[in-house]
Amino acid sequence: MTRGSVAATCAGIAAGIVALAIPLLGMPLLADIDFRICALLMVAVSWNLMAGAGLVSLGHSAFWGLGAYVAILAANDFAVPFAASLLPAMLAGALLGAALALITGRMRGIYFAISTLAASEGLRVLATMLPDITGGGNGLYLDSKLFPGKTAIGLAAPCGAILAALIAWAISRSRYAFALRAMRNNELASQMLGVAPIRFRVGIMMIAGAIATLAGAINAWHGGYLDPGVGFDLKTTIDAQIAPILGGVYTLPGPIIGAIATIGFEELTRALFGGMVGISLLVFGIVLVVVVLCMPQGIFGLLRGLRLPWRPATPRAAR
Amino acid sequence: MINFAQLLIDALLMGGLYALMSVGLSLGFGVMRIINFAHGEFVMLGAYGAFWGLTLWHIDPLIAMPLLIVLGFLAGWLLFRGVIEWALKAPQLNQILLTFGIALVLQHIAVVLWTGDVRSASPGYAVSTTIIGDLFIVHGRLIGFLVAGVLIAALMTWLRYSETGRALRAVAQNRDAAILMGIDPGRIYALSFATSTALGVASGAIVSFLINITPFMGFPILLKAVAIVILGGLGSVAGTVIGAFVLAIAETMVAYYVPDGAGWTEGVAFALIVAILLIRPRGIAGQSLAT
Amino acid sequence: MTALLALSNIRAGYGESLVLQDLSLEVAEGEVVCLLGANGAGKTTTTRVIAGLMRPWNGEIRFAGRNVADVPGHLRVALGIGLSPEGRQIFPDMTVHENLLLGSYTPRARRERPRAMEQALALFPRLHERLRQKAGLMSGGEQQMLAIARALMSRPRLLMLDEPSLGLGPRIVMDVYAAVAETARSGISILLVEQNAEAALSAADRGYVLANGSIVASGSAAVLRDSALVQQAFLGTPPSVPHAVAK
Repeated sequence: MTRGSVAATCAGIAAGIVALAIPLLGMPLLADIDFRICALLMVAVSWNLMAGAGLVSLGHSAFWGLGAYVAILAANDFAVPFAASLLPAMLAGALLGAALALITGRMRGIYFAISTLAASEGLRVLATMLPDITGGGNGLYLDSKLFPGKTAIGLAAPCGAILAALIAWAISRSRYAFALRAMRNNELASQMLGVAPIRFRVGIMMIAGAIATLAGAINAWHGGYLDPGVGFDLKTTIDAQIAPILGGVYTLPGPIIGAIATIGFEELTRALFGGMVGISLLVFGIVLVVVVLCMPQGIFGLLRGLRLPWRPATPRAAR
Repeated sequence: MINFAQLLIDALLMGGLYALMSVGLSLGFGVMRIINFAHGEFVMLGAYGAFWGLTLWHIDPLIAMPLLIVLGFLAGWLLFRGVIEWALKAPQLNQILLTFGIALVLQHIAVVLWTGDVRSASPGYAVSTTIIGDLFIVHGRLIGFLVAGVLIAALMTWLRYSETGRALRAVAQNRDAAILMGIDPGRIYALSFATSTALGVASGAIVSFLINITPFMGFPILLKAVAIVILGGLGSVAGTVIGAFVLAIAETMVAYYVPDGAGWTEGVAFALIVAILLIRPRGIAGQSLAT
Repeated sequence: MTALLALSNIRAGYGESLVLQDLSLEVAEGEVVCLLGANGAGKTTTTRVIAGLMRPWNGEIRFAGRNVADVPGHLRVALGIGLSPEGRQIFPDMTVHENLLLGSYTPRARRERPRAMEQALALFPRLHERLRQKAGLMSGGEQQMLAIARALMSRPRLLMLDEPSLGLGPRIVMDVYAAVAETARSGISILLVEQNAEAALSAADRGYVLANGSIVASGSAAVLRDSALVQQAFLGTPPSVPHAVAK
């Protein structure tokens, strides 16, 4: 192991310990930030896993909302306690991921992106139009009898985040890593057909989907209220993209650094622009554009002096 | 007893408008192979433009339209040359996120400037109707249909018979060969992007007196446009027009026949996208996926 | 007399790989010059560099006495460089007529369009029959004729032809080359890039042989045809074995 990766691993472990410790300290403001970072981290890791396979998700709120609804419905309708309700949520995420992968088959990334957009809108419509099940536009309140206590939920988020990070690490070490990068690079060479088996696509989508729905489910217990607008909020989709891009897309620490940077950024804009509606997302949009144009390798890429993920063809100097 | 003729009229009038809303997206993809995820936002800006023209200066949306089209064209040109051109050689991830980010920016500039309140422009003809036998024809919708028809016909004529229109089609079919003809691909790209935003703004001006205006109206419109463009075949203007009528008919039938249909119509585009991707991703008239 | 086209020490390639090492060649006004090379030798790269579809890493390109290295591809057409590219590259969804109209897109060519159209259709009567047909539906030979006619519509001073005989039957090749000869007679300089040395050398005044990214032989067509190198590489006749053709 290189010195750099030893340092990175130590930083990761330290961060994990800190994330777990904060909810136990009894400082609500800090605990809230810790929670939000962990939840975003999970979504960011999930998005990044898909992007690493050449699949750009423009509708990650679909997973988030799906997880939230499954968890709350499991609790309200079937009296399933907190921890247990997370499992059907993850399963739903895996199934949605698999469905998206199978529907788009081997088609180019743009079709996948469109499908995710359609999925998030479609699920939102479903949630609104089936009030008997989902409470429709009026929303659902979590049955408070089952509430496991702030600390339990507060710990669940960092646990989920650590789990997500470990899964991403494991995948990057596995033989899947090469297949996934090949899928992505062949996208760049615009040769989509017959590159890598559907298996890989479905596999990565199931894993990434489950992680994102897990985040949404935990968050639903945290908030206690859910309606189609909250569950399938555009902001979730935006955050899911900004965090990994800002941190460094396709890299392992990228989503982690990005989640911390994004929440930090949010707090900063809130402090600066207070209650002005729309400013924070406006700033986020500008950040996204600027990062994509000027800093596509993200913070982590900058730190490592990389020029990922795009090297424009330049003529070589005379020898 | 459902009046089938009324259903057909409603679908027809809506289809024309949908076609105008989507041809821009199709043009952009055909020439540059990018989907402009900010397309819906240009429709939104057109709607706001028409709304403020009416509210502040009492200019009818139809009268304001030519000016709005010119502004939309210029805005598109500047946006392309200033921002989007850079991403054309970048990987798809960057292209997708770039226009998505632009959509966000435009949406929230609208929120900051005009708040999220719902508006609608209401010139007289927005609600006045003519009744022919059993059929209700809302003037606003008819006017929208006619204007859309004129604009699309103009576009198709321009593409078919003019030098520049032909050059644009050439770049869409074979970029390198087009360069060998002396065609500047950069200018053609900017032209097609600007034309697509101009068309988006035009449809926004029409839509201003037909539906509610909010800063967030763009995404559902984008979704419809995408469904139409995929259905008709990415890059084919004629296919897009057909796709528009298909979506309009599907939505109208859902609104009529499905209980509580009005709420479900938003989901028709989503269902259509899934169906097309499963059955025939190439769409009716589009380029094959290998391109 | 300065050459119409002069390439000096061109280095070019794709991405990290070098294709043209040190290419120098010339085409004088009114000449027909052929560039022979096997697959992968760099023939198409050469035409792309001259046409401006690719930037060389190094070297000079002079056309009509002027350095054109910084002139973008679409502007070189107006200067008088025309190319019938490898694989024909016609616009498949447009009619023959539309393809020809596009050939005369530049302002100068547009002014001479009616005359140019008349001449092109006289040169290739088959295209006249197919004028309103979609170009993508035509046979390979007809598409090749269209590609050449289209390039001629731009009123070039130098016409480059990249492998015009590729994939065509002998009869069509004869027709195509007859048209090439006719074009040369009208005063247009021609750079003929071919694997088919037999045909190319019969049409050309002079030639170059391209191998491994640079010129390994040059001379008049007659000299090249008799040279051992060309005989071996292209004409299938090993010098030590009389009249036996290696398979």
